[in-house]
Amino acid sequence: MEWLDSFWSTYSTLVLSTGTNVLLALSIYVTLACGLLSLANAGFMAIGAYSAVLLTLHTVTPLPLALIVGAIAAAMIALLIAVPTLRLSGVYLAMATLAFGEVVRILILNAEDVTGGALGLNGIPQLVGLFEVISSVTVALYVFLRLAHSRIGRTIAAISQDEIATELMGLNVRAYKLVCFVIGAALAGLAGALNAHFTFFISPNEYGFERAVEILAMGVIGGVSSPWGAVLGGTLITALPELLRGMGRYRPLINGVILIMIMLYSPKGLWDGLQTLRRRIRP
Amino acid sequence: MRCRALLFILVFGVLPNTAAAQIKIGIAEALTGNASQYGVAIRKGFELAAGEIASSGGINGQKLELVIEDEQGKKEEAINVFKKLIFQDKVLLLFGPTLSNSAQAADPVAQAAKVVVFGTSNTADGITSIGNYVFRNSVTEADILPATLKVAAQKTGLSKVAVLYGNDDIFTRSSYDNFKKALQDLKIGVTTTETFAKGDVDFKPQLTKIKGTNPDAIVLSALVAEGAPIMVQARQLGITLPFVGGNGMNSPRVFELARDHSDNLWVGSPWSVESSAPENKRFVAAYQKAHGALPDQFAAQAYDAMYIAAQAMRKLKFAANLDADRRALRDALPAVQWSGATGPFKFRQATGRDGKPAGYDAVQTAIVMVTKRNQYVIQK
Amino acid sequence: MLAQQIINGLSLGGVYALFALGFTLVFGVLNVINLAHGAIFMIGAYAALHAVLVFHVSLLPAIFVAALVTGGAGWILDKLIFAPLRASRAPHLAPMIATIGVSICVTSLIEGYFGSENLRFPLDTLPSSTLTLASVQVNWLDVKIIVLALLLMGGMLWVIRHSSTGRALRALAESPKAAALLGVNVGGLFLATSVIASILGGVSGVLIALYTNSVFPHMGQPMLHKGIAVVIIGGMGDVRGALIGGFFLGFAEVLTIAYIGSNMRDAVAFGLLFSVLLLRPAGLFGQAPQRRA
Repeated sequence: MEWLDSFWSTYSTLVLSTGTNVLLALSIYVTLACGLLSLANAGFMAIGAYSAVLLTLHTVTPLPLALIVGAIAAAMIALLIAVPTLRLSGVYLAMATLAFGEVVRILILNAEDVTGGALGLNGIPQLVGLFEVISSVTVALYVFLRLAHSRIGRTIAAISQDEIATELMGLNVRAYKLVCFVIGAALAGLAGALNAHFTFFISPNEYGFERAVEILAMGVIGGVSSPWGAVLGGTLITALPELLRGMGRYRPLINGVILIMIMLYSPKGLWDGLQTLRRRIRP
Repeated sequence: MRCRALLFILVFGVLPNTAAAQIKIGIAEALTGNASQYGVAIRKGFELAAGEIASSGGINGQKLELVIEDEQGKKEEAINVFKKLIFQDKVLLLFGPTLSNSAQAADPVAQAAKVVVFGTSNTADGITSIGNYVFRNSVTEADILPATLKVAAQKTGLSKVAVLYGNDDIFTRSSYDNFKKALQDLKIGVTTTETFAKGDVDFKPQLTKIKGTNPDAIVLSALVAEGAPIMVQARQLGITLPFVGGNGMNSPRVFELARDHSDNLWVGSPWSVESSAPENKRFVAAYQKAHGALPDQFAAQAYDAMYIAAQAMRKLKFAANLDADRRALRDALPAVQWSGATGPFKFRQATGRDGKPAGYDAVQTAIVMVTKRNQYVIQK
Repeated sequence: MLAQQIINGLSLGGVYALFALGFTLVFGVLNVINLAHGAIFMIGAYAALHAVLVFHVSLLPAIFVAALVTGGAGWILDKLIFAPLRASRAPHLAPMIATIGVSICVTSLIEGYFGSENLRFPLDTLPSSTLTLASVQVNWLDVKIIVLALLLMGGMLWVIRHSSTGRALRALAESPKAAALLGVNVGGLFLATSVIASILGGVSGVLIALYTNSVFPHMGQPMLHKGIAVVIIGGMGDVRGALIGGFFLGFAEVLTIAYIGSNMRDAVAFGLLFSVLLLRPAGLFGQAPQRRA
């Protein structure tokens, strides 16, 4: 077991990050599956992180409560902006949600007295371990897998194919989109709250454009045909820098090349690509 | 066959172990990404010092082995790299990381593992207060800025200033906080405070507004990437006022980037490329020979940090027990006093968040300089 | 002071408009959010810098070199990435993610070859003389940038309105399938658009590098953010939108700094963005999102 100890001391943060990244990938999966190109999840992640941290830093809030508050805070803000924002679609929705993320970042940056502004919040209690992350991921994954095969899941898939037809079938498309958007936000908020409690420090700049793009990449690389795609995407994006460590200064280059390759050869995502491969081997 | 296998094992298994009485030192810096211009300079400083130490006999005969990792200027990466260096590579101590943000996230890891982490470029608050295994030789702005302002005020007669700072970066922001306090303490009035963001290219709106408030000087908290264009654009707008800069502006690059417009910038720092101390002259010459360019503050502080750590390492009797060695190093380090490229240096203990003594900050005197015709001129 | 700030607004707006031109073109015709545009912008600056430093050419040939290099990059981008993805009927997000990969690769290559410190053009590349008119300082470079942005925009508008190529492009933007049926060389036009957009990006890179006196590997990133804001405000895919959006954003930022406070600058910019999206999502000149055949 000494091997396991040694592995854990070196890689614990990596494993935990993989977990929260899978949660983030799931958060964008749920919106993409509904046909919503939302890039707001980095902003929701920030909201979740800051809400939870402000609680655990300044009061004696137990971790589960702080996590729930983080998720709910993100969900509430999502609810607030959902009505005007979800009228948009496609690229326009993407840009609006990207702008929203930036607004969140700037607000946090300027609210110095509360959030510490650019100096960030330091000395966050390390309350999150394997249990919290694994249970969050498992629950989320289980729920989505069940839903995917249920009527709700089929409705959502239908919406992403053709909204108007689905509406004509008598289904309240707006409600479904709202629910997906809010759940995605809650997941992202949860991921943010979890992440803050095993990295000691948060600052507004880690929830900006780059994070939003990274979350999108995780979703697209894994693919939206199944929640497993999110698991794949999240794991790959987290593990890749570590796997490529031996490459030294060529690491970002190879990272980029891999991204391009995946898009060229498996544009619907890796999960889909793997399924296709499996079908070809075992027809 | 078996004899050969045995020989193989002997040669490649046993011999290296006996031959390698090496001290492993971990270096975690931002070698790619946004912060890489500083990380790469820091790495060059470390390598220069390590090379010199090696060619003068090593540490009591033992060689230094530098294990260098790229933390990309990202906090998660810094944590992962720290853990790898501490638990996998089993280094004696750790240098880095480059950014204060990363330090706040990763230093607690070193503290918990009881391994010395020695920062050479972290200047924000909340780092040495993490614990007693955290050291840094990067002098914080709080210690330097009052001296810079006092000398600048004396020589230019300024009584009111405008302030311009980057509000989205921890380095420029904490520098600004220190400027604000120093200005208050010296009772220098502030006509207006303007901000910019990292990556901005145009500062004329802020500079125009500043010009309209008629200050005697502009206090600038920026890194050279923004600071140089700021100076150029100010001169283009007809602003001939002196600039008073923080740590970030102490770099020979300001002459390349701001060319004809780089005059009249006041900077305070423990290090100046013009300092005539013999150790500094040696360092500057060696750096120029190795890299064909003048060193900057980041390289100088890394260079000295390696020597400071070496001084502590020389006092150690290596016990072949890594935990004991790491502890012994931590115990030996605070007492080190060294006169290197950045001048006379010693440590001062800081207090932790809980009020108990914690990590170690740098104690050095500031050199105040003003730029004139592409050179830093030291003011006495 | 107001007069000076107006000049500042004009020059900042010109900078933004120039960058947004190429960006909006790729979206309008190819229907791709080209997140590599920032990297292409950066390559243009480095190409010109290299030409000046190593081959000792003057500014105009250097700009030509930049155009050549970035045009080539645009060519490669279409051939290697956009075209194959069009052919395989990939989901519309795939090209965008691929351009992210391209941006990472390119930035890392430049960082590896040139280093990550800021570089600048030699002083004599562009004499920076300042004109002083009644307490207002105007830099010749600023004027050149504004004029160039307007000229390019005018030129493109003319081409799009009055030439057969322009008509073909507009047909293409409306419906690639219909355009193909009508005999338009769809593949060729897509390629040409990518090349032209990249050239625009590269040239704006050189100008802005001269304007700011700095060239560094990540210089495309902040411009990309602003570019996105500009095309949202101005309307995606419309050349006039890039122009008006650019100047609008430039003025909004300058006036916020001058009269509200510089720390509110980004808040106001994004607030505007958000409002535009809520009130008129297509932007000032954009087309309302329609179903594509």
